[in-house]
Amino acid sequence: MTAVLGWAVAVCCLGYVGAAARLRTRGDAWSLARTASFCAGGAVVVAALSAPWDAWPPFTGHMAAHLALGMVAPLLLAVGRPVTLALRALPVAPRRALLGCVRSRAAAQLMWPPFAALVHTASLWALYRTPVLAAVHHRPWAHLLVSVHLLLSGLLFTFAVLAAEPVRHRTGTALRAGALLAASAAHGVLAKSLYATAPPGTAYRPDDLHAGSQLMYYGGDITGIALAVLLAHQWYAAGGRALHRERRHALGGARPGAAALRD
Amino acid sequence: MTGHGRSLRGGVLGGVGLAAFVDEVVFHQLLHWHHFYDKASSEAGLVSDGIFHAFGWLAMVSAVFLFADLRRRGTLARTAWSAGLCLGLGGFQLYDGTFQHKVLELHRIRYDVELAPYDWTWNTIAALFLIAGAVLLVRARGRR
Repeated sequence: MTAVLGWAVAVCCLGYVGAAARLRTRGDAWSLARTASFCAGGAVVVAALSAPWDAWPPFTGHMAAHLALGMVAPLLLAVGRPVTLALRALPVAPRRALLGCVRSRAAAQLMWPPFAALVHTASLWALYRTPVLAAVHHRPWAHLLVSVHLLLSGLLFTFAVLAAEPVRHRTGTALRAGALLAASAAHGVLAKSLYATAPPGTAYRPDDLHAGSQLMYYGGDITGIALAVLLAHQWYAAGGRALHRERRHALGGARPGAAALRD
Repeated sequence: MTGHGRSLRGGVLGGVGLAAFVDEVVFHQLLHWHHFYDKASSEAGLVSDGIFHAFGWLAMVSAVFLFADLRRRGTLARTAWSAGLCLGLGGFQLYDGTFQHKVLELHRIRYDVELAPYDWTWNTIAALFLIAGAVLLVRARGRR
């Protein structure tokens, strides 16, 4: 089953590269950095699903896989802006269907940053503070389901915070930063509490628990800072465009002829 | 458009971010005075620490971009910004040294030592930053 998922991710990456190539051949710009980021995200998903985690201390290995799936991969995939690319590259009929999905009220509600942050955070608390982790321990299917859920909730959260795709309406920077702050704080608190108290029903060794919880804490910090930088950069770039327009208008007001020529 | 208020707020964010950064790098990672989690902290202490830790680096990132924006617009008021920086630094350190360490009993400055001189030094430095911030703020207001 893991192999099927791995192949599905590989097909997504191939589709992405194909779509980007299609855009480029027809003369549209699509940055290589986005393509690289999306493919790196796919590689992280495959690596997290198939790495030999059994060789690691169990809790630390589990945490490394979940950090990769729930935080690192979503960040890299979201930076690739796959929905925007699909909307540009798809033929008319599927494009219209996708646009309908993306612009739907349900999508807007799901992508509302506080809701996405709540889903992301509640998933983690449910996993580590209820007997769920102990229950899925020796059930590969259930464990895979948890992994997929972490990836999806991470994707929802990252897409909501970055708001780089053309959804119904884009939420303001402050609300997205607030959601990021709340989710990061909750993540840090959970990581610290895991240092002292293992998830119910599990019997990890203390050193394993300590290493895993610190990995969660600092790993969460790093991805959180990366998200914050992307968010702040969006804000800075938007401010730059607004400033540029203001200055151009001011210039246009002084010299109407020049503005008319330029437009 | 006045850059006084925005410069001050940007400086405060930078100060809080810098204090959180120094706390993490110097006291947690380099000196190992602070423990990752000493297991004696109250739950309220953990929550307060979690919020301030996350707010610290978010403040740092925002401060850098706000600073760049103020420079770009040519509205950076340097004295007001420095006042904000000192107020943010001192304010965060005083909050950490009094409320978080003492009231919420979240970790100590250092373990297995006589704590009083550390507490006094910690909070005196915080107070000095606050006074410096207040003085700079008065000067920035006067210059406006």
